Amino acid sequence: MTFLKYIADFFFSLRTTLWLLAVSLVFMFAGAFIMPGKNEFRELHSTPLIEWIQNQPLNLTWWLWCLIGLLAVLTVNTLFCSVESIVKKRKVTQWLLLISPQIIHIGFLFILLAHLLSGLGASQKLLPAREGTQLKIAGNDTVLKVNNINIKMDYYGNLEDWAVAVEYLSKGKSFLKDTIRPNNPSVWQGFNINVKDLRAYPVKAVLLQINREPGALWALVGGIVFTVGIVILILLKIKLEK
Amino acid sequence: MTILALSFASYLFALWKRPLLYLGVALQVVYIFSRGGELGRLPLVGPHDTLVFLAASMAGFAIPFGFTLKKRTDFFNVIAVVAAIFTAFVMTAKQHNAPLPPILKTFWFECHVVLAFMSYALFGIAAVLGGIFFKDNDSSIDGLAYRAVLIGYCLFTLSMVFGGIWAYLAWGTYWVWTPKELWTSILWVFYSFYLHARLRQWWMGKPMACLGIIGFGVVLFTYLGVSLLMKSSHSF
Repeated sequence: MTFLKYIADFFFSLRTTLWLLAVSLVFMFAGAFIMPGKNEFRELHSTPLIEWIQNQPLNLTWWLWCLIGLLAVLTVNTLFCSVESIVKKRKVTQWLLLISPQIIHIGFLFILLAHLLSGLGASQKLLPAREGTQLKIAGNDTVLKVNNINIKMDYYGNLEDWAVAVEYLSKGKSFLKDTIRPNNPSVWQGFNINVKDLRAYPVKAVLLQINREPGALWALVGGIVFTVGIVILILLKIKLEK
Repeated sequence: MTILALSFASYLFALWKRPLLYLGVALQVVYIFSRGGELGRLPLVGPHDTLVFLAASMAGFAIPFGFTLKKRTDFFNVIAVVAAIFTAFVMTAKQHNAPLPPILKTFWFECHVVLAFMSYALFGIAAVLGGIFFKDNDSSIDGLAYRAVLIGYCLFTLSMVFGGIWAYLAWGTYWVWTPKELWTSILWVFYSFYLHARLRQWWMGKPMACLGIIGFGVVLFTYLGVSLLMKSSHSF
């Protein structure tokens, strides 16, 4: 019983939060000096984090392992503290002021969930293509066809704009047409297809980047919820001061 | 360049006549708009344009913050010196006048950069207030620094959200494993620590002032150190 109380006290404590954040900072600092210049980290762009980390030497990844462990504990700590805060202060009149830090916490947890989902299932593939090239992008029979590559250069030869017309085919039949432009990818069934590089000569060609980012939506939701929470908190604090 | 030199002089002479600080801000706002008009885009690429934006934001935000202080001379003097130092670097940094690649011509990029530098400016103000706190030991300074960090943290978070949306649209992923992203996360966790630490009595006063100063050190390294020394999507 004493042990359980000790565990509960640990997770309900703000001091725990501070320690976890401080130690996370230490590991991130370490990582910031280990990461640059190590080619192994380049693979992280195309491999899910959890898969990548298991195949790398511990002298490169120890700080990431520690960080993942700390974030797991921080998640439990955040949940415990938020629930406790709501239960303890539920009768206060300024309930929005009470709830806004918890909204921020929910946003933070969504962001962590996003990174977990992406860490488990993100993927990236680079495929060169010309006009007329057909590419298989998923395990099923769907094929992506590059119809037209349009590259616009200015007088000095700088790339000004581009557009790549694509078409999705299933069993040879077209079912969706789309155009990929700068900051406007073609999104289909969780795949984000954009252009990594282009070439106008000797033949028009593109390097397509096909990403799958299962956490993207959760990251967006988390970011919005987090921001809403902090904006409410600031507005209420200003109002209280007035 | 004349406008920049004048703004630099204004900041320096603001040590004797405070209205010159406002003149310095006004001149830099004029400079930013004139650069924008000349380039036909938001001038926020490269150290020249971003540093002038940072100097103007810091001095600009300092005005409302300074007026809530009882003893404001020291605060405005330090801000004027910091803005003058940034402006001196601006005058030596090369302008980025080339047309932007298509991927940077988006609302998401503009919001991402503007909000990031506004938050840096507010973190800078918190650091200056932290320094003043060591001299005056006034609790109202502590509260003001907290407000600067809270608003800065909100803008910084928004900047990260916009950056994530932009990265997803441009590169298909909201997170890229580069030193800049890692340092940005360090900064975000650092200020999360700051905001949580303030809830505990032990951290009030000098420890918070210390954190505010260290935080701006991390800001400067994340902005200049990482962009100049390490290879990433944010390199200058």
